[in-house]
Amino acid sequence: MVSNHLKPLVVASALGVPFLSFLAPSWLSLMGVGPNWAVLWLLPWALVDGPLSGGLAGLFLGLSLDAISLGDGTQVPVLVLLGFWWGRLGRRGMPIERKFNLGLLAWIGSVVIGVNIWGQFLLTQMNNPIALFHSWSLHTILCQSILTGLLCPLVSSFLLIIFKTPRSSA
Amino acid sequence: MPKLRLHLWRRLWPWFLLATCLFITRWSKGAGFSDAYAFITRPFWPGPAQKEWIQSGAELEQQIKLDLLEQDNKRLRKMLSIERSTKSGFVSVPVISRRPKGWWQQLELGKGALDGLEAGLAVMGPGGLIGIVQSVTPMTARVQLLTAPGSQVGVWVTRTQRHGILLGMGTNRPQLTFLDKDPKVMEGDVVSTSPASTLLPPNLPVGVIQSLDRKALPAPHASVQLLAAPEAIDWVQVQER
Repeated sequence: MVSNHLKPLVVASALGVPFLSFLAPSWLSLMGVGPNWAVLWLLPWALVDGPLSGGLAGLFLGLSLDAISLGDGTQVPVLVLLGFWWGRLGRRGMPIERKFNLGLLAWIGSVVIGVNIWGQFLLTQMNNPIALFHSWSLHTILCQSILTGLLCPLVSSFLLIIFKTPRSSA
Repeated sequence: MPKLRLHLWRRLWPWFLLATCLFITRWSKGAGFSDAYAFITRPFWPGPAQKEWIQSGAELEQQIKLDLLEQDNKRLRKMLSIERSTKSGFVSVPVISRRPKGWWQQLELGKGALDGLEAGLAVMGPGGLIGIVQSVTPMTARVQLLTAPGSQVGVWVTRTQRHGILLGMGTNRPQLTFLDKDPKVMEGDVVSTSPASTLLPPNLPVGVIQSLDRKALPAPHASVQLLAAPEAIDWVQVQER
């Protein structure tokens, strides 16, 4: 069986993360905020490929997303940790395939990423910290996590099947 | 041992290469990604369909601008030693990606350094200023919207000629923090870029004061409704230098 990294569909889906982040389709958003595409891709990848591969994928995704977003904030550390954590979960006990479980993990991941970015905003923009506690931050975290959690059973389940399928039938 | 090392190196060198490429992309703030995205989506860039809608917005902008320019003219005539021109040209640029809400509120434009765009240029939507070019790649430019957290622009209230700083808060309405304790402004006053600004052209219309907090400390601040909404804009005007 050929390694997961070499499957054309896997490579295409990984490239889709920065592409969809750029595209940000307005019809796929909740009150203007889109889903976290990195979480939707990283979760099934880490569950199938393990903690090391999950962490590395988190690093690569984080670097890509940092490159296309405004400002100096970074998503690298939190994506690496999430990739590692989800990889460990995938290696323990029963495989995680249920839609509710996937949705819950994606929701948690999205909230963690949101809180991490919010924290960086608070640290880097100390000149007006009170304003950053306005409903905007909470609104962004909630909208993004809810949408990610709802889309995950659809998108991540499909990716899970692709990542698990041997190359000959992919 | 050397065989094992060679074997490891053969297996790992593509990943090192990928990591190096991504680090370079990260360091250059997405030069490769933005350009590839611009190249792939070029057939789908906005056409002239929005032209009429933009024209009606542009008329409103021109009206406000005319008033501002007249006032500016009067003021300049009183001063003998001003040489700076208030007129600068603008070039039309398509918007190829927009994220007006969320953590990073930004636009991606379909022209870049090859077309003469550079960081710091003013970006106008139909109605008024919407942001400032923050970085450019050869084929694209990234715009920080006025609503983005961290955005700071020097503005003034045209009627009372009181200066302030327009701060992006992440919400639809940025906050105007006045420099005076008594700015003598009221709801409905027009806000434009400051003539004292060395970064932006003076008197570009920005927005209208929506609400005012006179008791705020250390200085009063106001909530500003922007004239141009970035949510549905397909074309913008970028200042020429």
